[in-house]
Amino acid sequence: MLSSNSLGRPLGRLVTMLAGYLLISAVAAPGAGAAGAKIPRLANGKPDFSGIWQTTSAADYDLEPHSTRQDAPPGAGVVTGNSIPYLPQALEQKKRNFDARQSADPRLKCWTLGTPRGIYYPEPFQIFQRGQDVTLVFEFGHSVRTINTNGTLHPTEENANEFWLGDSRGHWEGDTLVVDVTDFNDETWLDRAGNFHSEALHVVEKWTYLDSNTIDYQARLEDPKVFSRPWDIEVLLYRHREKNFQLIENYCFTLDFDKYYPVPSADNR
Amino acid sequence: MAFAMALSAGVVGVPSTAHGQTTAGQNADVAPEAPRISPAVGPASAAGLAPAAGLAPAAGGIPAAGVTPAVAQAAPPRPPGIRWEHAVRQISSGKWTGPRLPDGQPDIQGDWSNTIANQNNWTDPQGGIPGDPTTRSHHPGARGDRAPSRVSDPADGQVPFQDWARSRQQEFLAHLFNPIRPEYVEPFARCAPGGVPKSFTWHGYEIRQFPGYVVFLFGSGTRIIHLDGKPHLPDKIKLWNGDSRGHWEGNTLVVNVSNNNGKARFARTGEFASEHVEIEERYIFDNDRKHYNYQATITDPTVYTRPWTATIPARRYTVDDAPDDWHYEVPLANVPGKDRIPDHFERTCVENNGGFGRVAVPPAAANSAK
Repeated sequence: MLSSNSLGRPLGRLVTMLAGYLLISAVAAPGAGAAGAKIPRLANGKPDFSGIWQTTSAADYDLEPHSTRQDAPPGAGVVTGNSIPYLPQALEQKKRNFDARQSADPRLKCWTLGTPRGIYYPEPFQIFQRGQDVTLVFEFGHSVRTINTNGTLHPTEENANEFWLGDSRGHWEGDTLVVDVTDFNDETWLDRAGNFHSEALHVVEKWTYLDSNTIDYQARLEDPKVFSRPWDIEVLLYRHREKNFQLIENYCFTLDFDKYYPVPSADNR
Repeated sequence: MAFAMALSAGVVGVPSTAHGQTTAGQNADVAPEAPRISPAVGPASAAGLAPAAGLAPAAGGIPAAGVTPAVAQAAPPRPPGIRWEHAVRQISSGKWTGPRLPDGQPDIQGDWSNTIANQNNWTDPQGGIPGDPTTRSHHPGARGDRAPSRVSDPADGQVPFQDWARSRQQEFLAHLFNPIRPEYVEPFARCAPGGVPKSFTWHGYEIRQFPGYVVFLFGSGTRIIHLDGKPHLPDKIKLWNGDSRGHWEGNTLVVNVSNNNGKARFARTGEFASEHVEIEERYIFDNDRKHYNYQATITDPTVYTRPWTATIPARRYTVDDAPDDWHYEVPLANVPGKDRIPDHFERTCVENNGGFGRVAVPPAAANSAK
């Protein structure tokens, strides 16, 4: 703009252009709007989340506020209102999970982390995006989640399944990707502290660029068998910008049997 | 309704049952005739007690992999598509005349599967597993009536093993049906990724393309092919599926695979490479957009006497093909209107590998994984 002005364009025109630019930005990005027009976009104009992302939060250690302890750094929590609204019996189960967390956390078996846990687990994941879907490849376990953005719906009741990652159908509200996730199993935990859910879990995610290298990730969790009301979490995801950064496959469940398979060579037995 | 995928395969001769539930052996060469049965995924499976499910084609007594929807339903009619071609069609490298993606890549996205056979036998793909006491995996007919060896060079169709490596392969095969030591259980049966190149012989898979990438989604692992020319990972890092760098030459995707961990077997017959292997892949796509040939030149001076080439033909599957629980496990999406849009189930394995997990991964070991 300054260079435009230095070229002698009337200041009034510059102000008009600027106002128009801001207006367009505001319309295009009603959500976290600050990202404006500078965020990456697909050919269809939708925000392009392609890249490798990771949270720096302590969410996976415990979604709720917690002091430091042997197995977790302290964290202020990522739950709106701080506490997860468990039903009484479910709270007892959560306490049992917490006590058994050093052996019972499914992550210890390297099993698929689930949704939303995979998003804030402290290992990178990569987003690949097309108009019709968003593909998430998690380094941990190298599991793959697809968010369909092609107008398809959750499976009908007669075709319903129970998935580790749930069934994800997304749509756009302005520059926010809103994802409805259902059809879960009850096998996954929400964090290392034993927070959990049933197969009735329903997650609604909101993915919004804060700036071109930061995603604001929000999720509402609803599960009438476990929680007394829906509750919300929010974490930020940062783009990996290290030179040549890439996912390194982490099929950690193979560690259980790796010792049986020494690299073949003429020398080893 | 439970969703269960039992990718597993391969603990031949080891009971793959839990609590009296049997996993019926299926003839490896035919489509499943039985209804699909899936156990409830519940606490039992969390404890590693659920049997592998999904009665897809498999070697004797081996539940096959697959992304198997849990709803029990009548067996679908046997699909008319190519199931066991006996020859490899010739496809030449050359120009790509089909559609391209905005970034210039030939558009070859979609669902694909090999046209020859599963991973029972590397060099006689339709010949069954030597020593299979059930003969269920055996294909009738003379050798000349069956598909050629996947070893297209040398001409004798055999992997040019050094002597020690040949005896190691024979030792593995001799114990496949009597795995008296843990190392005789194929890692794949424990849900390890199939590795390169075996993944191309096990169930259908999906290819997705993105600017700078070709991504393969297998039932047993994922490969991300980087097209941006970045250097390979440091040599110290060893991976089941290796580290892949590729580029397009006309109709051919050329991929260099390094950083292999050398732990996967190419087939149940036990062929292998070491962590020193370098693999140069050429995916040659027919301009008819319906077929491609996979050719991999495999070089490992510590295991072979010379480089050799593997060839695996593949064909495309679309919504016009009937799902068959093996090559094409793709349901139609729930969509308003008459559009027919393919859907894809999530791909998991170890989580649902209970029947095998109990044998292959003792619970105690599983719990001390990390």
